Amino acid sequence: MRSPRLLALALGAALALSACSGGNSAQPQGGEGTATSGGSLVVDTAFSLETADPGNTYDPTGNTIAKALYETLVDFKGSDVSTPVPGLASWTQNADATQFTFTLEGGHTFSDGSPVEASDVVFTMQRVQGMKEAKPNFLLNGITVEQVDDTTVRFTSATPSLQLPAILANPALGIVNADVVKEHGGTTDGSDTAKAYLDTASAGSGPFVLDAFDVTSQVVLKRNPKYEGDEAPGYDRVVVRNTSESATQLINLQGGDSQVALDLNGDQVTQLKDGFTVASVPSASTIFLLVNQDPAVGGITANAQFAAAVRSALDYSSLLELAGAGAVQATGVIPPGFTGALPTGATQDLAASKAALAASGYDGSTIRLQYPNDYPVGGVEFTPLAERVQSQLKAAGINVELAPAPIATELDAYVAGKEGFSMWFWGPDYADSANFLPFGPGLKVGLRAGWTVEAAPQIAQLATTAGSATDPAAREGDFAAFAQALQEQGPFVPLIVPGSNIATANTVTGAAYNSVWTVDLAELKPTA
Amino acid sequence: MSLDGALTRRPRGAWLRLPRVWRSPLAVVGAAIAVAWLVVAVSAPAWVPYPPDAQQLPRLSPPGEGTLLGTDALGRDVFSRLMTGASTTIPLALGLVVASAVIGVVVGAVAGWFGGWVDEALMRLTDLVMAFPTVILAMVVAASLGPSLYNAVIAAVVVSWPQYARVTRSLVLGLRTLNYVVAGRLLGRSPVTSLVVDVAPNVVGPVVVLATLDVGAAVLLLSGLSFLGLGAQPPTAEWGSMISGALANFDAWWIGTFPGLAILTVVMAFNFLGDALRDAVDPTSRTERTAVGVASAPQSVELPVEEDRP
Repeated sequence: MRSPRLLALALGAALALSACSGGNSAQPQGGEGTATSGGSLVVDTAFSLETADPGNTYDPTGNTIAKALYETLVDFKGSDVSTPVPGLASWTQNADATQFTFTLEGGHTFSDGSPVEASDVVFTMQRVQGMKEAKPNFLLNGITVEQVDDTTVRFTSATPSLQLPAILANPALGIVNADVVKEHGGTTDGSDTAKAYLDTASAGSGPFVLDAFDVTSQVVLKRNPKYEGDEAPGYDRVVVRNTSESATQLINLQGGDSQVALDLNGDQVTQLKDGFTVASVPSASTIFLLVNQDPAVGGITANAQFAAAVRSALDYSSLLELAGAGAVQATGVIPPGFTGALPTGATQDLAASKAALAASGYDGSTIRLQYPNDYPVGGVEFTPLAERVQSQLKAAGINVELAPAPIATELDAYVAGKEGFSMWFWGPDYADSANFLPFGPGLKVGLRAGWTVEAAPQIAQLATTAGSATDPAAREGDFAAFAQALQEQGPFVPLIVPGSNIATANTVTGAAYNSVWTVDLAELKPTA
Repeated sequence: MSLDGALTRRPRGAWLRLPRVWRSPLAVVGAAIAVAWLVVAVSAPAWVPYPPDAQQLPRLSPPGEGTLLGTDALGRDVFSRLMTGASTTIPLALGLVVASAVIGVVVGAVAGWFGGWVDEALMRLTDLVMAFPTVILAMVVAASLGPSLYNAVIAAVVVSWPQYARVTRSLVLGLRTLNYVVAGRLLGRSPVTSLVVDVAPNVVGPVVVLATLDVGAAVLLLSGLSFLGLGAQPPTAEWGSMISGALANFDAWWIGTFPGLAILTVVMAFNFLGDALRDAVDPTSRTERTAVGVASAPQSVELPVEEDRP
């Protein structure tokens, strides 16, 4: 006990002394407290993070980190995710949209100084394809990647894949240094063990390198001295902290403890007056109710009429009230602004709800509503939302018991499709409506609701049609038909699309919300 | 036990006297607040202005603007929830204290009376439980049973019985060799009868004091578990979970402040009560005691209350 105390005393004294030296110090200062001096930046967000290995990451915070550490073949500019732009490479495609040829622009180097080559690209993609259990694995389903020459890579798919460039902008497909990753257990045959290494050090060509990684508390990024791209970071050091309470994020920001807060809600940003900037845009995340279609998991919820009863029991405008400024009602699984989004959402109809409930054979028993209670989405806390859903469902005759848990314990059950009735969110991972097809039967999110292809073959067909369209005009209609079918028969009840607020101290500029990676840390610069 | 009865009758020679310490301002304030909260706990559902779960008022309106203590993020009346919260927390806290006391007294009495390997085994078990930090162990138990208010009570019982066991054991150990107890045995009383008739009356006083002091700790523990999401589940009106919900609306100070004050007053009131009771049964404060009844008075009643609590 004694020596740590002495150490703490010594540290305290050193801090006090350095504080006395004040602004006259010519030394570049580290530490979170001196973030505004240009050296480092502190970002507060509620972590949804499992790893710093891009090939295994598929979470909002994970994407933000991966975006900073790794470069992707395709990029988006600022907030605009409608048009993919060249990143590490430019590309051409054939008429059927089945073959995409990427040519590396060259000049990019990894953090160890070696150049980014086509072999790295192929290794990265095949590694993700090999890891069947990895979350981003599905991104490259049905796609063949082959190296043409040192600077050219060809992606081939059996079906038209207009969304491929947008997919390749996902930070999960950030290019890793093949030599380094192979040295630490990286393979393409599924036996990959490089995740452990990539949680301690990065192997990318992004503007930052990994300095320290703790999945529960904070991630520290350092400037990559070998970075050769055109988005040089504005800070030498970025600390991304896990601050699960948005109220704490607000206090930290106001008190100067952090410079960026990613999860403030609409009520909170209105309190930020002089000295702060708020970038407020509708997010692309959707908060929805999942009604499991597997009788073994959900029991009564597996009855199609039950989902219909829930859908028409809710008063959506009253739910929206809890989401604050910027939020809109979710009109379907495709949020407004994306191709195929429906113009109007479900409305409350208690008579229809009661009829559907009676038809479902519901006996008044209590149903558990599971949800993560420590992960606000776009500043929307799940607990009040769930409480209001519970109260509205009660008025419609459905008895619900709330069963909140931390996201870390809840996520596995959700992903494994073990939750009968739950409240979750879905954020786009690439900016294309194809990103919402996983809600379809037999697909990623659909299966989490126990919804198989056999249960709804027509809707599965609609998803296939929408996913394989080559004509943009027809494609929009296909997506709308898919969304409409889900609104009528699907096991999901989309509730709200929260607003997204990135609040920054005025000492920081360049914050722009991006629906794929939330914020590009390299774009944040100190105010001149 | 009936404090009020004891206060008015002051039975001569009984194990519990309520001398002038009982008339101290703190004791009176403590008793008044505790009684007030008990009344609220029993009657609140009957007279609160709104149902505790009704989401019918404007959201986040401050105190005084239509409601006494403001409304929360869902437009529920904070005052109604606060009062209803008393009927959730206080009975459970009392119940958990009684349960821990009963378990602890039985374990301690058995260990102290029979001694030997029984004593060793039971006391090492007690030490084992006490070795864990209270809140951490309670969190582990509550989390493994699944979060709910009743599991939180079970968790709290699991962590709070050892102190009673220790106190009881030390008292029984001292009492069982006293002449009147030995005499009782020689007259043919069975161990159990002797334990109940001769020993128990001298154990009850200190245990009641300990239990009264422990009510405050129980309220804190239950609210703490609820605050952490391991106790009361939403939308139950419970003080700890009300404070937890207030975190998301930190600037709406009224949501969290009043439940916090409620916990504060309950804990303080029972601590005052417990202190007064302890003074009452502490032999050093009984200067007026006469020789009559010495045989039935606790001889070695020292309350290792503070030292033994983790």
